[in-house]
Amino acid sequence: MVDEVIETKDGLKLRKLVELKTSTAEEYQNAMIDRVEYFKEKNQKKSQFNSTIQNAVVQAMSTILDVKIQVDKTLGEENLKKVHEFLDGVLLFGL
Amino acid sequence: MYHLDGTDVLDEKYYRKTASVCPECLERIPAVVQEEDGKIFMVKNCPEHGDFKDIISSNAKYYKWTHFQMKKKDGTIAWQFEKDGEANPADCTSDDERGCPYNCGLCSEHLSTCTLALIDLTNRCNFNCNFCYANVQKSGYLVQPSLEEIDRIMKHFRSKPIPAVAIMFTGGEPTVRKDFPEICKMAKDYGFKEVIVATNGYGFQKKNGGLEWTKKVYEMGLDTLYLQFDGINNATYEKTRGIKNLMPYKMRVVENCRKVGLSSINLVATIVKGITDIEVGNIIQFALDNIDVVRGITFQPVSLCGRITAEEMDELRITNADVIEEIENQTGGKIRMDEAWYPLSTIVEFGRIIAYLADVEPVEFTCSPDCGFATYLVVDPDTQEMVPIIDYFDPLKVIDFANRFWEKVKHKEKQPIKFFEGMLGDIGKTLDSGLDFLDKTQLRARFLLGILQYTKKPGKLMEMFSRLLMNGDWESISSFTHGTLLLSSMHFQDAYNMDIERVKRCIVHFGVAMPDGSVKEVSFCTMNTIHRESIEKQVAKKITQKVREEFDTTRGQTREEIQQEVAQNGGMRKTELGEE
Repeated sequence: MVDEVIETKDGLKLRKLVELKTSTAEEYQNAMIDRVEYFKEKNQKKSQFNSTIQNAVVQAMSTILDVKIQVDKTLGEENLKKVHEFLDGVLLFGL
Repeated sequence: MYHLDGTDVLDEKYYRKTASVCPECLERIPAVVQEEDGKIFMVKNCPEHGDFKDIISSNAKYYKWTHFQMKKKDGTIAWQFEKDGEANPADCTSDDERGCPYNCGLCSEHLSTCTLALIDLTNRCNFNCNFCYANVQKSGYLVQPSLEEIDRIMKHFRSKPIPAVAIMFTGGEPTVRKDFPEICKMAKDYGFKEVIVATNGYGFQKKNGGLEWTKKVYEMGLDTLYLQFDGINNATYEKTRGIKNLMPYKMRVVENCRKVGLSSINLVATIVKGITDIEVGNIIQFALDNIDVVRGITFQPVSLCGRITAEEMDELRITNADVIEEIENQTGGKIRMDEAWYPLSTIVEFGRIIAYLADVEPVEFTCSPDCGFATYLVVDPDTQEMVPIIDYFDPLKVIDFANRFWEKVKHKEKQPIKFFEGMLGDIGKTLDSGLDFLDKTQLRARFLLGILQYTKKPGKLMEMFSRLLMNGDWESISSFTHGTLLLSSMHFQDAYNMDIERVKRCIVHFGVAMPDGSVKEVSFCTMNTIHRESIEKQVAKKITQKVREEFDTTRGQTREEIQQEVAQNGGMRKTELGEE
């Protein structure tokens, strides 16, 4: 952890944080997903079909997100705004 | 700042009329909230006790943003941070002509439902903090509801048309009760999704039996600790709690929770100017170091009780804006005041969509924008650093999309699909539930794609959202907090800054079992400022010598425990052995 420790006249140790890093960032993210999986299995009847569908959806979303981030970089701010307006219209259409 | 750039909102002086109470006689009086010198003040006059002025926010720009109304082209409001809640029917008649806040119980003026139910389990406490309003040492009487009375309060909150989702046990120190584990189980049996205790850590930290006790309460249903945590320096606790060497005590709580798998601690820091405000960086650091069990930090600017002079007020008063600014300073500008923080009410529509699509009870944060601010820290997949969630999503666009989405689908919540039921009876119901499933599936897909288009980085968060919407259970939703660190600042009101418009929207309600068999539901801030004394006197029991002398509040332990420790150390106190 990178930080600066300052000691006051009263002997208080104060830290000025420079980086907000944890030593377990990767495990921490995985723990969140593992927890979801744990409760899913606990609360629902184990279904291979549902799990396969869910994993496929998650994978698809992840792929779409990766592509979307790349496309965002190539579009300018104005174009991106227009794309968002168009997609908002599509996603809210018929509701 | 945010979407205010380019508007004339920041150039206009803020001014609004409201009502408050006189800090001397507690009578309702008119008040104005106005801008002066870049700050927001409440100014009021009591015909009998004169003028009062108190700071509401040290940052007028920030305050104006939270009270901003985004308007459509036709002039109607597109959205604002002040959200209309859906209140439960009133529990009592508004007999007092003065109106809010004298008719608590709750009355028909209240605008929000209860999101967090509170029960004071006891006013016994092993500490005697100088700014605490609710302990047996100060009141001179005992307030400790029986199990039957607690059962009655829980039933009250869970049987409402919109039931409270979470319950928090408060005090005093709730864990001094021997039947605390059974009370946790009662709460789970009543269907509270989140069972929380506001604690200084007493039951969890015991050297003899603390670990076993922690395991027991976890197994009986306790989900989260709101752990009093003022900093990482013993000297700080000596000033705030009057007890030396309190950090080992706090560490034992964290270690015992870690050992039994109770991985949901929310650190609660009471922020006192010049004493604990300098510790906010330390506390965030502590949370990051213990991120496997710490889920969040709540900073609470101290509420001022009793009579104080204007000079004392100036010296002591600290606002949410001060705390947020201090966090920015002490984190090297990483958690930025003008970008990262949002009023709690921001996510109302977002929460309603999640609840509707995942088929779980909604959590309604329809409190005033002045009540509290929050931000989430999430792991940045590129740097592995914890960053504000705004680095991950474009927050205003996500919120805007969620608001428009909810506007379109909210009628579905009230009118479930009944296409086949009328024609085919029970068989039709099954077919309708199939239609409902298909409808929600397409809505989930639309909503996820809507969020996705405003997502700026890859990583686990989108996966998390996808899975929680598909799983549709409370635990999946609460897992979101297990991959993030929630920072919030909650400023409770006192008689100096009470804003009746804020009171009406309160979502944190005390429940008290009254001697006539009823349950009084009172909003948090009015309980502590207006009603506590009169209500407690109706339910108080006489205090015995044994209860009065139960704890040595200079050490935070029972006298019995201290005697045992002395006996184990060959008749020597730890202080005499140089260990404390």
